[in-house]
Amino acid sequence: MTAALRVMSSLTLSLFFSIICCSLTEKLSNASSPNIIIMLMDDMGWGDLGVLGQPSKETPNLDAMAAQGMLFPNFYTANPLCSPSRAALLTGRLPVRNGFYTTNGHARNAYTPQEIVGGISKDEMLLPQIMKKKGYVSKIVGKWHLGHRPQYLPLKNGFDEWFGAPDCHFGPYNSSIRPNIPVYNNSEMLGRYYEEFKIDRKTGESNLTRMYLLEGVDFIRRQTEAQRPFFLYWAPDATHAPVYASKPFLGKSQRGRYGDAVMELDYSVGHILLWLKRLGIENDTFVFFTSDNGAALMSGPNEGKHYKLIPTCTQSFSLRVTGSNGPFLCGKETTFEGGMREPAIAWWPGHIKAGTVNFQLASVMDLFPTSLALAGLSPPDDRALDGLDLTPVLLNHPHKQGNRPIFYYRGNELMAVRIGQYKAHYWTWSNSLEEFNKGINFCPGEEVPGVTTHDQKEHTLQPILFHLGRDPGEKFPISVSSHEYQKVLSSISPVVEQHKSTLVPGVPQLNMCDMAVMNWAPTGCEKLGKCLNVPKSQPWKCDWPH
Amino acid sequence: MDSIGFFFFLSSFLFWTYSASPPNFVLLFADDLGFGDLGCYGHPSSLTPNLDRMAAGGLRFTDFYCTSPVCTPSRASLLTGRYQTRSGVYPGVFYPGSRGGLPLNETTIAEVLKPVGYATAAIGKWHLGVGANGMFLPTRQGFDHYLGIPYSHDMGPCRNLTCFPPDIKCFGFCDVGTVTVPLMHNEVIKQQPVNFLELERAYSDFATDFIATSAKNKQPFFIYYPSHHTHYPQYAGVEAAGRTLRGRFGDSLFEFDNTIGNLLTTLEKTGVINNTLVFFTSDNGPELMRMSGGGCSGPLKCGKGTTYEGGMREPAIAFWPGTIRPGVTREMASTLDILPTIAGLAGAKLPQVMLDGVDMIDILINQGKGKRETMMFYPTDPSEMYGLFALRLGKYKAHFYTRGATHSGTTPDQDCPVFAVLKAHDPPLLFDLEADPSEHYPLQLFGKPDLQAVLQQILQVKEKFEASMVFGESQISKGVDTDLEPCCNPQCSPKPGCCRC
Repeated sequence: MTAALRVMSSLTLSLFFSIICCSLTEKLSNASSPNIIIMLMDDMGWGDLGVLGQPSKETPNLDAMAAQGMLFPNFYTANPLCSPSRAALLTGRLPVRNGFYTTNGHARNAYTPQEIVGGISKDEMLLPQIMKKKGYVSKIVGKWHLGHRPQYLPLKNGFDEWFGAPDCHFGPYNSSIRPNIPVYNNSEMLGRYYEEFKIDRKTGESNLTRMYLLEGVDFIRRQTEAQRPFFLYWAPDATHAPVYASKPFLGKSQRGRYGDAVMELDYSVGHILLWLKRLGIENDTFVFFTSDNGAALMSGPNEGKHYKLIPTCTQSFSLRVTGSNGPFLCGKETTFEGGMREPAIAWWPGHIKAGTVNFQLASVMDLFPTSLALAGLSPPDDRALDGLDLTPVLLNHPHKQGNRPIFYYRGNELMAVRIGQYKAHYWTWSNSLEEFNKGINFCPGEEVPGVTTHDQKEHTLQPILFHLGRDPGEKFPISVSSHEYQKVLSSISPVVEQHKSTLVPGVPQLNMCDMAVMNWAPTGCEKLGKCLNVPKSQPWKCDWPH
Repeated sequence: MDSIGFFFFLSSFLFWTYSASPPNFVLLFADDLGFGDLGCYGHPSSLTPNLDRMAAGGLRFTDFYCTSPVCTPSRASLLTGRYQTRSGVYPGVFYPGSRGGLPLNETTIAEVLKPVGYATAAIGKWHLGVGANGMFLPTRQGFDHYLGIPYSHDMGPCRNLTCFPPDIKCFGFCDVGTVTVPLMHNEVIKQQPVNFLELERAYSDFATDFIATSAKNKQPFFIYYPSHHTHYPQYAGVEAAGRTLRGRFGDSLFEFDNTIGNLLTTLEKTGVINNTLVFFTSDNGPELMRMSGGGCSGPLKCGKGTTYEGGMREPAIAFWPGTIRPGVTREMASTLDILPTIAGLAGAKLPQVMLDGVDMIDILINQGKGKRETMMFYPTDPSEMYGLFALRLGKYKAHFYTRGATHSGTTPDQDCPVFAVLKAHDPPLLFDLEADPSEHYPLQLFGKPDLQAVLQQILQVKEKFEASMVFGESQISKGVDTDLEPCCNPQCSPKPGCCRC
């Protein structure tokens, strides 16, 4: 039996056991420090949920979650790419502050492929580290993506448990040039993608989402039994290329494999919520659902094939397997709405009013102070935080959030700012003409002249202004000569100036790459006989084309 | 604003029983509203609490089509259950002085219901002809009562009219060189030009009075409310103006939504809500050329005037507490199907003509399969020479011709504006609408025998359909006679400027 199967069967057994014993579990009442579950999807778009207009019926559970909770149509990530977005969630800080960016090029998206030398800085305070003060037990299930070298892994950064992988599930790789990505159980590897943890590139079959579901439920059940408050960071990656689903879901959706993956994730979300109810802890558990960045709309030139084998996090899509960003412009990698506006649902029966839609501007970084506030903890006061405590909004308390700005960063550059309904673009860029001519298009069918530019275009002296209420698709810039433009800009400019003048950038962590740091010999490889030879160290400055 | 019910999957398992009295029907028809314009269809800044409430408590359609990407023909099909080509309501739309109208020998939903004892009323935008002595007005087509503007409210000079309080003039000029738009009660002009700030209140009161009277008389009723919202130039009274995040378009939509709320409240108060089918949809896709003052087709391609999905796939919600179970249906359905559905539910006889609609009762009541397998896409100017521009069979849609439209101008997609001239496709462009609702990626047929078989099947269906299609004499080609333009002071001069009362 392979390692993966062993995990599966033991989990299944423990689940059966838990069904029997859960009825005996006493109902906990820790409303003072509720459990917290953050569900973070990978490359899922704003428009992928039925409740947000997707015509394919793949998300009955998420739609029900919205009906029982609060939907945020104005929710943003902190960066249009995986790693920085995740770092921002766990630190409550913009990537430019927490170091998850690069200075190798201007306004380039960087992330953590396995040749990256850096990772999350030891100076950063991560959510689970602080939650510990109140006795929270924390687990991450799924994709980590804050660095794969030993010092950067989850158990070194506040998490008590981990089941998942440090990187994207690209592959399979020839182990002599690139190792396959390891899957960890806590601090030791259990096997590797495409080896012990199968992803069939032809059929798209993989049991990973199922494993992530079982791992999540098992953790919830154990902490509930032990009557300990818990923080579960549930980060499956089935909607990231290469998209996968388990057999019962393959071919079941109307949207091809991507839809199948969405269906399985939706099923899993529903199952987790069902378990909270079965365990009687639904009134003591705050659940938040969102995604790390916009759907990847890149259309490759090889229509016949389903995927292109390019080992990066940024380009690997064929035409029809992509998610939807609804009415928004472009997608992943860009600072247009399609790249950064995310689906978001908060769920906490008995505390959050069912069936509400809240138009508050909010960000993934808000989950940091919000989780701390729910746990009864104060955020660290020795550093700048970009997140806001959303509890007054969630609990419908009288509050004044005012006109909080949303900052759209790409790498080291502030590309755009949203205040209220207005968004000002200081820089525009989709991707370079060179990349575009290779067939990589971040805005298929949506090129807006002068806006989705193929060169990095500066508009600092005369920002391009949109009213996102009237024009959510960012297609019709407000005339520079209009009274509206002058008035709005005079209120946005001071906010931007203040942000820029007070911003202290962190030390960039994503500048250096080295083949020697790849996942050749992760901890635990000896036991499995899965260690590979480490090549000689030859560091170089990483190249970030986008 | 925080409390909008979205989707309640309240699994109240309700069973449909024929009630002793026949059900009432409220048919709500928006104007130029796109697939992506409602909150419950994924618009991020629209405010439509009552439509969202209907969607949450009713059945929301994801694959619902109108029959034409412009107003007039779409309305003809809605009221007759027949493609506009049969009734001759093409090409384009009727004008204030049009000689033609929806032929009187066509049977409208109102005419289907009159013989079984229904009270009928039409409120709002008629747009199926006025004609000499008002011969094509709603009162001549089965409606007992009518209050409204008998065509589009931009079909008269609007530059000096007030569209928003306190005195914000309408955006643009609208149609000049014609009479200002009249408000008609039955066949009499009550006001010319119409007062936009008070119009919605008048409609709402007229509709709620009609419901109250019918309920009091215990008479089954049919209300057809084709709203002017959200067509250009948008307007709104004090209760809706400036209330949304979406500017004038959002306010216009919100005003319509308010009226829907009033109707629902009246249905509740009069105790007939559990015996009333409320159906909402729109006449055609969004007028994208209005830019941020126009609608939004969500993820769909192009908009008004085109035979892409954005031009003809519409939001649609069926609401009937206690009878329709809340949910979402992916079954294909059309405005053509409303007449047979209403006839079936009312126990009325279907007109003895070639109908293109099929009843949706199984979809509505039993969450069952729809009877519709195909949808035909005619352009704004259908002709026997070109025939269908596109055909949807199951999840596949084949485009035989594509063409952009002025109404869909200003969009980044090069296929939408008028500059995208008529293009024939042989073999047809084939799309899988389930995998690719945006019609971005035509399927490659080469080396795909299964897709080639689908295409063959589509061509067979097309041939059979077109063989059965008898084009009616074009009513719109009968032209315009300025003397026919509605004028409240017919003897005045000089026209059209003197027609003001």
